[in-house]
Amino acid sequence: MKKLLFKTILYGFLILLVLEVAIRVFHLTKDYPSRYVDEFNVEKWVPNQAGVSVTGIRRQNFSEYKINSSGYNSYREFAPSDNKKEIALVGDSFIEGFHQHYYNSIGKKMENRLDSVEVYEFGYAGYDFADQLHLIHAYEDMFDKIDYVVLGLKFENDLTRGEYSVIQDRMHLETPLYNSIRKIKLIVYAQNSGLFDPVMNAIGRMSALFKEKPNKTVKEKTKEDIQKTHLIYIENFKSLIKKYGYDKKRFVLLLDSNITPPIFLEYLNNNNYKYIDFYNALNKSKTPTTLIYDRHWNNHGRHLIANYLTKQLETL
Amino acid sequence: MVFNSLEFFIFLAIVFSLYWLVFKKSLKAQNLLLLFASYLFYGWWDWRFLSLILLSTTVDYIVGIKIDANEKKSIRKSWLWVSVFFNVGLLGFFKYYNFFVDSWVDMFSMFGYNMESTWTLRVILPVGISFYTFQTMSYSFDIYYRKLKPTRDFLSFAAFVSFFPQLVAGPIERASNLLKQITNKRKFSYNQTVSGLKLILWGLFKKVVIADSLGPIVDDVFANYANYPASTLILGVTLFSFQVYGDFSGYSDIAIGTAKLFGIELMSNFKFPNFSRNVAEYWQRWHVSLSTWFRHYVYIPLGGSRVSKLKSVRNIIIIFLVSGFWHGANWTFIFWGAFHALAFIPVFLLGRNTIYKNSVVGEHSIFPSLKEIGQVVLTFGIVTFSRIFFRSESITDAFAFIKIIISNFTYEVYQHPMGYRMIDYYILIILFVIYEYRIRKDERSPFKFKSKIVRFIAYTIIILFMLLFYDDNIDRSFIYFQF
Repeated sequence: MKKLLFKTILYGFLILLVLEVAIRVFHLTKDYPSRYVDEFNVEKWVPNQAGVSVTGIRRQNFSEYKINSSGYNSYREFAPSDNKKEIALVGDSFIEGFHQHYYNSIGKKMENRLDSVEVYEFGYAGYDFADQLHLIHAYEDMFDKIDYVVLGLKFENDLTRGEYSVIQDRMHLETPLYNSIRKIKLIVYAQNSGLFDPVMNAIGRMSALFKEKPNKTVKEKTKEDIQKTHLIYIENFKSLIKKYGYDKKRFVLLLDSNITPPIFLEYLNNNNYKYIDFYNALNKSKTPTTLIYDRHWNNHGRHLIANYLTKQLETL
Repeated sequence: MVFNSLEFFIFLAIVFSLYWLVFKKSLKAQNLLLLFASYLFYGWWDWRFLSLILLSTTVDYIVGIKIDANEKKSIRKSWLWVSVFFNVGLLGFFKYYNFFVDSWVDMFSMFGYNMESTWTLRVILPVGISFYTFQTMSYSFDIYYRKLKPTRDFLSFAAFVSFFPQLVAGPIERASNLLKQITNKRKFSYNQTVSGLKLILWGLFKKVVIADSLGPIVDDVFANYANYPASTLILGVTLFSFQVYGDFSGYSDIAIGTAKLFGIELMSNFKFPNFSRNVAEYWQRWHVSLSTWFRHYVYIPLGGSRVSKLKSVRNIIIIFLVSGFWHGANWTFIFWGAFHALAFIPVFLLGRNTIYKNSVVGEHSIFPSLKEIGQVVLTFGIVTFSRIFFRSESITDAFAFIKIIISNFTYEVYQHPMGYRMIDYYILIILFVIYEYRIRKDERSPFKFKSKIVRFIAYTIIILFMLLFYDDNIDRSFIYFQF
């Protein structure tokens, strides 16, 4: 019995060690870049780090990222000046583009189409409208030199708050415990493939036994509820703009009209907010525009977005 | 509780530790633990059906004693019929009742009499009922044929009937093998335990990597067969062949491996059936415990092959029809059985049904001969074709599936329903077939490598593959639980 126990532990440890090496060598799972909150209270990636982003349990999508000195995923440094033409793309993970090689981003594709224009991608997963305006305000000097600023906006997700503050839930991922766990690639891989889900579910079930049962009746949203929410979101939009300012000449929103309520589009039109609607540009495509395992844009989708943005910006 | 779940491995570790560390000195305590663990294992699904196991156990325990106590053949036979009626009655009620009522109604409607199927009941099929009823019946049969003495130890007998590693999907053990081991003192053996762990690992690989990963493709093809070209249907049924093999043989390996951890040897249930050279050999290698059961308790009592050719053919047809019906209350299984009977009879009439009994493909060489490759491919093709019946929801679907393949052959590249790369699965199947061919001579030693390093690499690759193909979002239950 002792021999069995000893060999089981020894073999188990060695196997785990080899699996860890295999996952690293074959890049089967993603690297997690570190994030921080800078001196202007802006949440971003720690500058000058590089790594790989992987989607799917068998590396179905693989790409490299490179965080520049400004803390964003881009092949270039951001150095705007008055004698150059620059465009800034500000947004969430779709602009951040960890699902693509950093040298094949929307910004780079746009630069390839535009002569002597630099495109800066200020993308960060989870950035909402409050994050975006706070960033622009915090780095006002830099953004003032940029000719056009495109702000990605998903109405349902990005206007849920009317005031900026650092989202602590995201920053909790930077605790020493999380950082140490993320260094073990086998754990990251197993977690991403859902291997720990049964364990977590079992723990959840056990802990639920000792907790009071919550009232599970979820009220279905009525049309009035939805309208009310839309009005709140529009109020959030107004209050953020009031606080941080908004240059209607240089700023343009990037949105999908199919998932944006008409009431908001009407508000934008009535108040001369410029926006670029990419719904048709993507919807016309006969080939898929998103990744298979992920709803982010694939190379074709990024290509269409870059083309469309370039054309639209030329008309502004 | 299923073998490929976290709960099972926690349960197994606890029972194993108690068995060898706490209760090792007392056989009675060990058997009591096995019985308790088995009932807990089964009750995890539905504790209400434990009463059926207990009832079946009690009936056959008494029947066994009664048969042995009487010398008069007619009384012995009467008691045997008690066991048969009771167990087949259980099966009939829980598994076949609705089928018979529906078939009766359908038959009347064919003649223009419309009847409403008001007699059908909402009966849940108790997991593993086809397996444990057959096992308990075998005990009574063996006593009747004087091959076995009945046990007076109810605890051991109950542990034999409900032994958790093989309770829900076999192997269907005969009392002469399993009960004998349960009533005798077991000793911990390092080699036996390690051999068991290896089989569990190999079984998990077959289940998680082969069966579970192919499941979504097969489900998609069979659910939407009318929208797919013939090439996709052929692909779907071929992959189903691998899925059902991985699923069931994987289960059997885990069952045999788990039993080894408790010092018990179960019979082999699968002997690389995909390398069979004719249909007869296939049945000597596929679900061996069920084939053996039918041979001993149905085919031989009917006269087997010692009667005239015509009667032997009749016996073969009966065996395959009963075997098909055993799998489920659906005409698809009866057609599946009939198809196998039709494939088996020519082999039998040509006298080639036992020629490969004691050999494997490529017996004396590394590679099989061209003739053997042809035989294996042909047998695999026949068996795979029969699985259209096995897997289809209804007999109409099965024939419509076949019609598309035969009458309208077109080819299109198939895309995985969840968007995964299909090439991964093709490579996986090729590697699996090559590896199985390599180990084809011993189904109980999947990692027979002399070098410790090679063995270690093999374990690691197996676990890596399990990680690469594990998918939490798919149905991970075992196919044969429904039988």
